[in-house]
Formats: sequence, C-alpha cells, structure tokens
Amino acid sequence: MLTHFLRLALLTLSLLLPMQTVHSQDTVDIPAGIAAMGEASLRELGDIVTSLAGTGDPAVVPVLTALGDGNLYVDETSGTVVIQRGSTHLDPLTGEEITLGADADLSRIRVNNGLRRDIDAALAGMTLMSDNPGTRLTAANGFLANPDPANIPLLDEAIAVETDANVLKAMQAARAVTVLGDAEQSLEDRQAAVPVVASGAGRNAITILNAARADAPEELAASIAAAISGLEQERAVWGALQNVWFGVSLGSVLLLAAIGLAITFGVMGVINMAHGEMVMLGAYTTFIVQLVIRQNFPGLLDYSLLIALPCAFLVTGAIGVGIERGIIRWLYGRPLETLLATWGLSLILQQTVRSIFGPTNQMVIAPTWMSGSTEFLGLSITYNRFWIVIFALVVFALLLLILNRTPLGLQMRAVTQNRRMASAMGIRTPFVDAMTFGLGSGIAGLAGVALTQIDNISPNLGQNYIIDSFMVVVFGGVGNLWGTLVGALSLGIANKFLEPYAGAVLGKILILVLIILFIQRRPRGLFALKGRAVEQ
Amino acid sequence: MLTQALFRALDKKAVWVIGIFLAVAVLVPMANLLIPAGQFGHVPTYMVSLMGKYLSYAILALALDLVWGYCGILSLGHGAFFALGGYAMGMYLMRQIGTRGVYGHPVLPDFMVFLNWKELPWYWFGFDNFWFAMAMVVSVPGLLAFVFGFFAFRSRVTGVYLSIITQAMTFALLLAFFRNDMGFGGNNGLTDFKDILGSPVQAQSTRAALFAATAIALALSVLICSLIVNSKLGKVMVAVRDAESRTRFLGYPVEYVKLFAFTVSAVMAGIAGALYVPQVGIINPSEFEPGNSIEVVIWAAVGGRGTLIGPIIGAIVVNLGKSWFTTTLPDFWLFALGTLFIFTTLFLPRGIVGLWSQVVGSRRTRRVSDAAPPAAPTPVQSADIERGEDPASFGNGTQAKPAE
Amino acid sequence: MSTATDTMLYLDGVSVAFDGFKAINNLSIIVKPAEMLAIIGPNGAGKTTMMDIITGKTSPDAGQVLFDGRTDLTRLDEAAIANLGIGRKFQKPTVFESHTVWDNLEMALKKPRGIFATLFYTASDADIARISEILETVRLIARKDELAANLSHGQKQWLEIGMLLAQDPKLLLVDEPVAGMTDSETEETAKLLREIATTRSVVVVEHDMSFVRDLGSRVVCLAEGSVLAEGTLDQVSANPVVIERYLGR
Ligand SMILES: Nc1ncnc2c1ncn2[C@@H]1O[C@H](COP(=O)(O)OP(=O)(O)OP(=O)(O)O)[C@@H](O)[C@H]1O
Ligand SMILES: [Mg+2]
Repeated sequence: MLTHFLRLALLTLSLLLPMQTVHSQDTVDIPAGIAAMGEASLRELGDIVTSLAGTGDPAVVPVLTALGDGNLYVDETSGTVVIQRGSTHLDPLTGEEITLGADADLSRIRVNNGLRRDIDAALAGMTLMSDNPGTRLTAANGFLANPDPANIPLLDEAIAVETDANVLKAMQAARAVTVLGDAEQSLEDRQAAVPVVASGAGRNAITILNAARADAPEELAASIAAAISGLEQERAVWGALQNVWFGVSLGSVLLLAAIGLAITFGVMGVINMAHGEMVMLGAYTTFIVQLVIRQNFPGLLDYSLLIALPCAFLVTGAIGVGIERGIIRWLYGRPLETLLATWGLSLILQQTVRSIFGPTNQMVIAPTWMSGSTEFLGLSITYNRFWIVIFALVVFALLLLILNRTPLGLQMRAVTQNRRMASAMGIRTPFVDAMTFGLGSGIAGLAGVALTQIDNISPNLGQNYIIDSFMVVVFGGVGNLWGTLVGALSLGIANKFLEPYAGAVLGKILILVLIILFIQRRPRGLFALKGRAVEQ
Repeated sequence: MLTQALFRALDKKAVWVIGIFLAVAVLVPMANLLIPAGQFGHVPTYMVSLMGKYLSYAILALALDLVWGYCGILSLGHGAFFALGGYAMGMYLMRQIGTRGVYGHPVLPDFMVFLNWKELPWYWFGFDNFWFAMAMVVSVPGLLAFVFGFFAFRSRVTGVYLSIITQAMTFALLLAFFRNDMGFGGNNGLTDFKDILGSPVQAQSTRAALFAATAIALALSVLICSLIVNSKLGKVMVAVRDAESRTRFLGYPVEYVKLFAFTVSAVMAGIAGALYVPQVGIINPSEFEPGNSIEVVIWAAVGGRGTLIGPIIGAIVVNLGKSWFTTTLPDFWLFALGTLFIFTTLFLPRGIVGLWSQVVGSRRTRRVSDAAPPAAPTPVQSADIERGEDPASFGNGTQAKPAE
Repeated sequence: MSTATDTMLYLDGVSVAFDGFKAINNLSIIVKPAEMLAIIGPNGAGKTTMMDIITGKTSPDAGQVLFDGRTDLTRLDEAAIANLGIGRKFQKPTVFESHTVWDNLEMALKKPRGIFATLFYTASDADIARISEILETVRLIARKDELAANLSHGQKQWLEIGMLLAQDPKLLLVDEPVAGMTDSETEETAKLLREIATTRSVVVVEHDMSFVRDLGSRVVCLAEGSVLAEGTLDQVSANPVVIERYLGR
C-alpha cells in the first residue's frame, strides 16, 4: 500500500517536475540487494545499505527503516527477507503481507550502532532527496527535532536543489537550528541562524531558542533574547486573535439572543422578560424536530437543524403574536408593568416545559458538518462555533433587509419613530405591533436552534441569556440594529479578553460593572436614537 | 419641627397599622411562650419563625414600595440590599460560633478552615461585635445604594434602563458571592448559627424575641415611611414619579429626591435581611438571584403599590400562598406566581388595597351622593411634558387599558 | 450688539440644531427687568425650543444665554435655573395630577427645595394665606381639595399660572397661556400678566392676536429660529414679511 502510494506520488511528481527525476534507478537491482541482506555480514550489510540508499528510490525506505529499528528478519529456511510488524510479516518492497511456510525459522538481521547511524543518515539523506515534498518535509522536521552538526552538509545539499518553498523553509530552519546549537560554528553564522530559527521553527521556536541561549556566548545570547521577545510578542498577537475569535463567537451567540429583544424593545418600547423563554422554546422545538426525524426519516438526520429553523421560527413567532395580542397590547405605554407581566409569563413557560419534558437536560445531536474543528491561520476553529457566527450574521443581514426594504419594515420604523403619527397616517399599529413582536420572538426561536449546538437544552436555558441580552441591547442603544451588532460583538470580545486575567466569573462581573458605568455615561447606549419622540 | 412631622406621619391609617404590628409583637410571643403547647391559642415555635420571616419580607416589600410606588423607581435589585444586610448579620452570627464549629477553630469560620485560610480577611474584622455588625447592616446596603443611585440618578438613567441595571447589579453580586475566594462561604453561604447576643438562635425564647423585633421593626418602618410620604418631600416624590421633568422645572433636585428614597429604602431592606437571617438560619448567594428581587415587586403590586399597607399585605398573602403551594402542589407554584404577575398587572393595577378602596369607595358614594371622593388616578399618567418624554419610562399611558 | 448689563434675559447668537435641522438659528433677544415681551411666530418657529434653552432642557450649540445680566444659564441644570427665579408655564398644561390643587400650589411655593427642608416642612400661616390668595386669583378656591387630574383643560392652565405665581419668579416664561380659555378668561389672563409685569419680566408666547394686543407689550416675531420682526404689535403685523410668513393673506 505504502509503496504503491509512493510510486503513484513519484509518478505524478515526475510528470510535474521532470528535471528532478535524475536518479539512476536501473544501475542497482533493489530486490537482489534486499535478498542479499539475509546472508550478509555486518560489513557487507553496510555496503548494501549504501548502495540501496544510493538508488534514491523511496521504495527502499521501509526496508532500511525496518533494518534500523530491528524489525527486519530473514527466514533461514527459505532465505526470504521480511519486515515483521506485530504478528504479521510484510514483503520489504511491496509492503504486502506474506504468509510464511510452517517450517519458517525467523531470525533478526542484526545491526550495530555504527551501522544504525549510517542507516539513519542514509535514510534522512534519502528522504531529504525524496521526490515527494511531504516526505522531504517530514525529514527536514526530523532534523529540526534532532539537530546533529554532522547533517549540515546533507542539509546544504538538499537546500541547494529544493524548489518547494515550504520544504525549503523547513530545511533552512533545521539547518539554522543545527548551526545555532553547534559551538564549532562561527559566531556570525550562529548569529545569522537566529532569525531563521525564529521565523521557521514554528511553535517550538521559543523552546529551541531558550535552550540555545543557555550555553551561548554573550553577544549571541543577546540576539537570541531579542528574537525570543519578538516571538513572544507575535505569539501574544496570535493569542489575541484567537481570543478575538472566541469573542466573536460568544458575541454572535449574544447577538442571536439579543437581536429579537432589540426589535421588540426598540420598536415597541416593550421589555420582554420572556424573551429568554422564546429562545428556550426554539431549542425544544429543535429537540422535537430531531426526535421526529430520527424516528421517521433517519436519512434526514443531518438536516434536522435546517428543518428545525423554520419550525422554531414559526412556533415561537406564533407564540409571540399570541403574547402580544393577549397580554402586551393592554400594557403599552406602561413598560414597567410589561416587564412584570412578561416575567410572570416566563415563569409559566419555564414551568410548562419543565412539566412536559422534565427538568433534565435534553440533547440535540450535532450534524456531521457541524462537528469537529479546523485550523485556520494557526487559529483553531470549531465548526459549530463557525456556523453559529455565520448564522448570526445571516440572520442579522436578513433582519436589516426586512427592516429597510419591506413595507412591514417601513411601517415598523414609522411606529418606532412616532407611534401616534404613524397611526394617524393609517398604519395599523396594532398589526405592526403584533408582527413586530412575532418577528422578535421568531428570531429568538432561531437563536434557540443555534444554541442547541453549544448549550444544554433545559427549561432554564433562556434564563442564562436574558440578562446578557439586555446588556447588549442597552449597551448598543435601543432602536438600532447596528448598535446591537456592535454591542454584542464588543461584549463578547471584552468578555473573552477579561477571562484570562480575571477568570470567567470575575470577568463577567467586571463586564456588568463596566456596563453599569457605561449606561451612566450614555444613558441611551452607544447608538441612541435621536429625535423628539425619544427625548432626553 | 420633628414633632410636627411625626404628628403628620401618624395619620389614622398609619396609627392603625403601627398599632396592629406592635400588638402582634407582644401577643404572638406571649401566645407562644405562655400558652402551653396543645392548648387553644398556642402558637408553635416554627410558626413564630415563619411569621417572622413573612414580616421581614413585609419590611422588604415596604422598602421597595417607597421607591417604586411613591417615587416611580422600579428597582429590580432590592433583593441585593436585603441579602447584604443578611450577610452582615450572618457574619456576626458566624463569629459567635467560636470553637463550636466542625473544625473547632476559635476565629475562622468552618468554610475558611476548609479552604485552608490562615487568617480572617480584613473585612471580617469587627463582626464579632453585635453593634458593629448592626452598623454594617445599615451602612453597607445604604452605601451601595447611595453610590449606585448617585451615579444612576445623576446621569438620569430612568425607567426600564434603571430597572435593568439594578438587575445587573444584583446579578453581579450573585456571581461574586458564589465565589469561594470572596470569603463569604461561596455556594453554601453562612449557616449553622449558634448564638445571637448570647442566647441560642434555636431556643424558643430567642425565636419569640426575634419575632417581636421583626414586628417592631416593621412598625417603625411604617412610621418612617409614613413620615416621609406624608411630608412635602413625599409629595415631591410622587411628583417625580408622575412628571419627573416638571418637578425639575419647579426647582426640586430630582436626583437627590430619588437618591434619598433609594438609600432609605435600601437601608430598610438591609434591616429586613438582618432580621430574616437568624430566623431562617441561613444566608446564601441565591438571595441575590434576580428572580427574588422581581418577586418582591409582585408582593408590592399585589398588595397595592403607592400605599403603606399594600406591600405588607401583599408580602404576607403571596408568601402564605407560596408556603401553601410548595407543600401541597409544589409543581404549580410557578404557574400560580406567573399568573399572579400577569393578572395583577392586567386587572389589578392598584392591588388589593386599590380594589378594597374601590369597593368601599363606591359603596360610600352611593350613601353620600354629594362630595363624592374622586377615584384616585392610577400612577399611570401622561408623564410627558410638551413632547413625549421617554417612551420607555413610567407612565405615558396613552393607549388602551383593560377594563378594570 | 448691546451689552448684557441691565437685562433680565439676554440671548445672543443662540443656535441649536436637531440632527442637522436648525430649530434656533442665531437668535438674539433681550428682556429688560419688569418688561413684558410677547413672542409670536408660525408653528415650528422655535418658540418653545427657545424656552427649552432658557430653562436648561436643551443646551444650545452656540451662543450666550445670560440671566440677570450675569448668570450663564447654559451651564446650569433645570432645577438650578428654576431656583434662580425663572418660572415656566408649559404649552401643554402639566400639573401633578395625583396631587390636589392645594398640594400643587404648596409644592410650587417659593420655599427651600432641599431634601431635609422639604421633609420637615410645615406650612406656616403666611404660606397658607399666600396659597389661598393665589387660589382666589386663579379662581380655584372651591376646588382646592380636588385632585388636579379632575380639572378641565382651562382650569389646569389656570392652576399652572397659579403655580407660576407661587414660585414667585423674577422671570416668567409663559407658553400659550390662553389656549382653551374663554374670551373673558383670556382677558383676565392678560390683565393678570400685565399686573405681574409691573414688577417682573414676562415672556409670553401666543398665537391669539387679540390676546397679544391686550398685553400691549413689545412684540417679537420668530420664524425659522430667528427674529423676523420686532416692535409694537401694529408695527410687526404691518411688516410685509411677517404678513407673508405668519399672518397670511
Ligand atoms: N428634541 C427635538 N428633536 C428634534 N426636533 C426638535 C426637537 N425640539 C424641537 N424640534 C424641532 O424644532 C422646531 C421648533 O419647534 P418648537 O416646538 O420650538 O416650535 P414652536 O415655535 O413652539 O411651535 P408651536 O407654535 O407649534 O408651538 C420644530 O420643527 C421641531 O420639530
Ligand atoms: Mg410651541
């Protein structure tokens, strides 16, 4: 298998890089050489290793590796040379499994330390010269991990002919690390190696440099120290970027949870304390949708979240309209009473869900495309967070579209700015109110769908988000979606930046305190609506 | 000056309420201590403590009503002041345990020994002294309210914004008190109290005394609130509630009126908390939960905000209901409470007291047809001056209200 | 232009914009002690906004606002300005509806406004006499114990005028005082204001021309945030620009 792959790679490479295929494959008979190993003395073995390595054929790599590792055996009865891996035996060239005869008498082909070193060097040199860039890279990294001044000429040779930028960089780094650690080298060379190590040695650069600094002469130590501090700064920047990502991810969750609130609060001046419960109901809707799909259409399981989206929107939206018609419309202009009534409602909804589904957490399985993670520019990004960020932005954009480009949006804005005037102009404010509230609640439902991917589904789900959502809305400024976006993201990021210093809980407390202070500076948030209707 | 103010405070209603609670302060302990168990009229000790708990809630509700009902500030963080007062008392009680703790450490409370603390944090100093602790019961919530209110009111944070940041305040404190390294017992809070002023907290006579203290504190709270709301300052407070900026244009320092009400109210809440803790035997961070503070609001609303007796009735009635539900139909308590919130705001904006005065009022109107007492308007009125003020502030009610 | 000395109210080059819309544009107005000034002008001319600026509700973007020739009003808040002795009657009558007529006046009465002063305040005989006197003046004595909410629109206007009297200000800003009043009440109001103006400065905003004529004072016509014309009513109403922009026809 392995050789097969290597051959294939070789083939493609030789097509791609015709000038590279310069090795004289036909002068040495590889199978004969391998067969000869079984009977060879130590000295002969050395010659065979040299000649095999001289072919530069990657096919000999497994044999040499096995020989070095003491995994190469010969069957004294038949004289076949095999690689032993566990209880199986492989053909040294093809890598295919071989069944030995019942009378097989295996003995290990012995090597001494000198030969082992030769094998290692030969292997490294070979793989360094391999036609497969991946193999070369591995080899270079091997040198980087175990620097040995003896390898410098080898590396120089490889560097001279290397064409792949990545591999070249790794080789240079490996060479630089070796040079740096070699007291024999001139000070200038070692100095010159420092920046190469710093830029090329990746995550271990700081460790390597630190190790080198320990026994470096003064001038060299100084430049190493400078390189280290530069690297540390760089690392801090990356750490910060990672934190930004975590913050954006948290912020997008906050955005999802808060944006519906921003609409109902902004347009209607209604504080909906049951907003968190709408999120919770959205999550339970997802749970039910997945349950139904699993039982009836298991093939669609991977799409259950997508199917749950419209369901959650409709369910919570409809409940929202019901709440508006049943309770809130009687309380317009009395925001404090609305706050109390919706709080009562939130208790009822929580308890209802608790009675139906029990107080324990429910699970929604992540679809395959949302599980796992990826590295992106050195940032590790989990897919579920990634999709939630995307989803939040999409919802935000859609909402902007609705508010700015549809008749309903126009009417909503009219009502926000001047309710009395709007109703005098013939806008059916009750209808707009119901729709607005439905929309806000529906979006809360969508948030619930997203939250199933990162949080437990429990009757208390909404409670965990309601205060944060309020903070976002109040911080961003009422009646302005952009304010909500900026508010959510900055709170998310601020939270993640405070966490490492203050710990999660203290960080959160700090944020709350900061917001409390902020509101006192700007009682109407970052992006306050102006105008007579919202005086002062 | 003071005598005149006192005289004004003691209007007929206030005298009745104060009288009742002073009588209760004497009669209930007597019924507990003097009438032998099993005989008619005996009040069992657990009942005494339960009633004491209700009365401390009543003080809290009254405190909230002073700011909400009279001054229009809907605080969703009064539970925090209550809990702070409670913690101050709890710290005193912890220090009284002495060597009787599980670890027998003479100075450190058990949880500190458990956390391997070597010495008492500085903010625990002095709490072994009862009077110092009492000073803290009053001053910690008062100071917090003063500082918080000073910034909030001066920057004219009003209406729901204020409500939300008070909620954030209590939430922040909740998180803080949950932390073990804060030195307040973390999750478990302070408990296992032994003595208060040298007598065991569990003893029947101590419990009766604590009850009496609570009832007297309630009577005093009513007196003080009555003094405030019947003064010209009380009228200004109501003016601030109904038309804040108009009051400003009359030259009243609205910020400081609010600050005064808020601070006095927080102190009352702290005292309520301090009375509550020895009677229930524990104080933990859950007292800071935002839900608790909102529940206080509904006590006041159910009883009738903007009155002195309303919040007391509300606190007692709702908590009686809570006790009943949680023992017989525990799953339905939240349904009942939620419904209560909705029902009260929709149909009973002036609470039980409002309903009562409506019923009584209409009967009286029928009898004495001339000089009908006008139905007091709900505190929901047009608060806007010239142009609509804050759409999200108290009042501004121009839309349909449900038929009462 | 002129200096601020010997003026009760001095506005110089005041401008304020709301989201780019200039509600007041380089407005300069002077009111002398014990002088009455009537301000007329079309809707949206900025008359009410001018009062907002004087009373500290709105802070101007530019310009000088001086009271009594020396106090810079732009630096003070509403309460401080009111306590300097500037009283205002609002365009839409705003009285404290859950208080009685009497309490409304008692709150307005010129007395220390501090927290503890109000907490321990007890009405003296003189205060009671003064409130009764004002109640007579505004003819609400019969309804003194009623809640202000139960008053009619015109009665609320009167109550607000009464509160203004109780405040005993040096400068009165009266925004549309006679809207909703009968003709005879309008005449009464004019008489009352003229009387007040013998000792204090009064600024009256009105659209009712016969009322303005009754006042017999200097008239300023505002339009689009600045002074259009100034003089006696006859001069102003003869001004062709005023006729075109405000009076019509
Ligand atoms: N806070 C504000 N925000 C936005 N615009 C405002 C604000 N205050 C005043 N304006 C605008 O300034 C202009 C002047 O308003 P103002 O109320 O002063 O007019 P007015 O002269 O009193 O009119 P009227 O005779 O109708 O009372 C109006 O166009 C008004 O819309
Ligand atoms: Mg006007």
